[in-house]
Amino acid sequence: MLKFAGILLILFAGTMIGFLQAARFAARPRQIREMLHALQRLETEISYGQTHLPEALSRISGMVTQPLSNLFASIASSLSRDSAGYGETVRECWEAAVISHWPGTAMKKPEREAVLRLGSTLGGSGREDQLKHIRLTSIQLQAEEASARDDQHRYEKLSRSLGMLGAALVVILMV
Amino acid sequence: MPQTLLELFPTSLRLVLEQIPAVARESLEEIRIRENRPLEIGYGSRYSFVREDGALTDRYREAFVPSKELCRALLERVTNHSIYAVEEELRRGYVTVSGGHRIGLAGRTLLDKGQVSHLRDIAGFNVRIARARIGVASEVLPELLDFNSRTIGHTLIVSAPQQGKTTLIRELARCISSGEWHHPNAREWGSRKVGIVDERSEIAACERGVPTFDLGPRCDVLDACPKAEGIMMMVRSLSPEVIVVDEIGRPEDALAINEAIHAGVRVLATAHATDLKDVFARPVLAKLAADGVFASFVLLSRDGRKVEHRVVTAEEAIRETSRRYSRTIGSTPRDAPRDASWDTPRDAIVQGSLAPAAPSPAQVNVKARPMPVIRSPNAIMPRGDEDA
Repeated sequence: MLKFAGILLILFAGTMIGFLQAARFAARPRQIREMLHALQRLETEISYGQTHLPEALSRISGMVTQPLSNLFASIASSLSRDSAGYGETVRECWEAAVISHWPGTAMKKPEREAVLRLGSTLGGSGREDQLKHIRLTSIQLQAEEASARDDQHRYEKLSRSLGMLGAALVVILMV
Repeated sequence: MPQTLLELFPTSLRLVLEQIPAVARESLEEIRIRENRPLEIGYGSRYSFVREDGALTDRYREAFVPSKELCRALLERVTNHSIYAVEEELRRGYVTVSGGHRIGLAGRTLLDKGQVSHLRDIAGFNVRIARARIGVASEVLPELLDFNSRTIGHTLIVSAPQQGKTTLIRELARCISSGEWHHPNAREWGSRKVGIVDERSEIAACERGVPTFDLGPRCDVLDACPKAEGIMMMVRSLSPEVIVVDEIGRPEDALAINEAIHAGVRVLATAHATDLKDVFARPVLAKLAADGVFASFVLLSRDGRKVEHRVVTAEEAIRETSRRYSRTIGSTPRDAPRDASWDTPRDAIVQGSLAPAAPSPAQVNVKARPMPVIRSPNAIMPRGDEDA
């Protein structure tokens, strides 16, 4: 009886690990897409609204969903005047926020590099220049999104079944 | 120095500025930050360099030197991290931050079809601290009144930079819109509607459209609006009785002022010029003055913290400048000893009893040129034929 319960637990845990892994593969392209939407919104704020950066970022944070929303909100709050402790330029604030929030997202290193590079130019030049940088980042992110979707197709189901099968293997070996 | 302004500076610079002596801090006028060059402040018509511990010194080698990173951070903070949103201001060479403080910028200009399109590599900042001085207008205003129409006459305030033009015009606007005429005979006049065209956002220092300086109850502000267009917009839709504009000097300003005057609006304007001679040497101002647009001119000069003013009516101004019409080669430094005519009592000038000052070598009297003889075309062969 005890053995049976153990087998069930192992099978359950293995399946869950597989499902979690699969969910990460599914979340990555979705979050990249959301990041792209956020950049598009930023582009509009800069080109038509000429909204100041802290305000634009806090508006964006209200528009996107969770892990990214926190990221933008923390950049916006560290840019606003009274909290100078987090850094003084956009680049410093952006870097600190991206590095601390990135582990909470499903996105990987290439996306992080692209986003960090955007942070070092944001707010520091004229409108045309800003739009070019944002578009460049969008293009990079689109490429990453395509490869993330590829990975999703390839590994999502695989990791789901692998989790369960791995658990089954452990059970067989232990019995 | 206001706390809000201090918060604008990057931490390392703020630490230095917080330590400067209280005397200098209270009369602080300018903070000049130049990349990799000594930090300088201007206070009470003097200047000093600032050491890293906040002490003032005359020796620039000991002074605190702002680094490149500090200047970049400062630029980002004064533009609220959004250079793209202040491109228009950069093109004109300054940004105005909340509180009405103007920050002049020096850098490398980029040209587009011969016009300045952008300022980049910004390495010099001049932070000018705006102050509201309640009461500065009480001595000036009584001399500008027009008793027939129970309001003020058209007035031009003239001075060199940094002598308090904007402070005075702001205070005049407040007095007019709250009906404080400072004259016993004008006690029952009531207030007037004042329209301010605030192209540089310095007079009213609007934040989201609401003035941060006290401008009285009956004041409308067109913030960041080009003067000429703004004057027309005011006249058309806001029915002002007095229009206040800062730093006129372009031809379109003169056109708009003429329009406003003939629409029954009183104009209160300022202009950069050291004295009346300069006014009559600047084409647009000279035209306005010669047309008799302005009823009076206010000349400002400053000695230490005290601002002195002199009010000259239009007739006196024309008489004075035509008598003493002269050209100065180059201009005199601002801290040069003052012109003797400043110290002569006003009555002497009015009666014309003052003998013309002995001509100094720097002054050239211009005599009326004899008219050229007009010859009839028949008397001389056309030049083209001679050459052929």
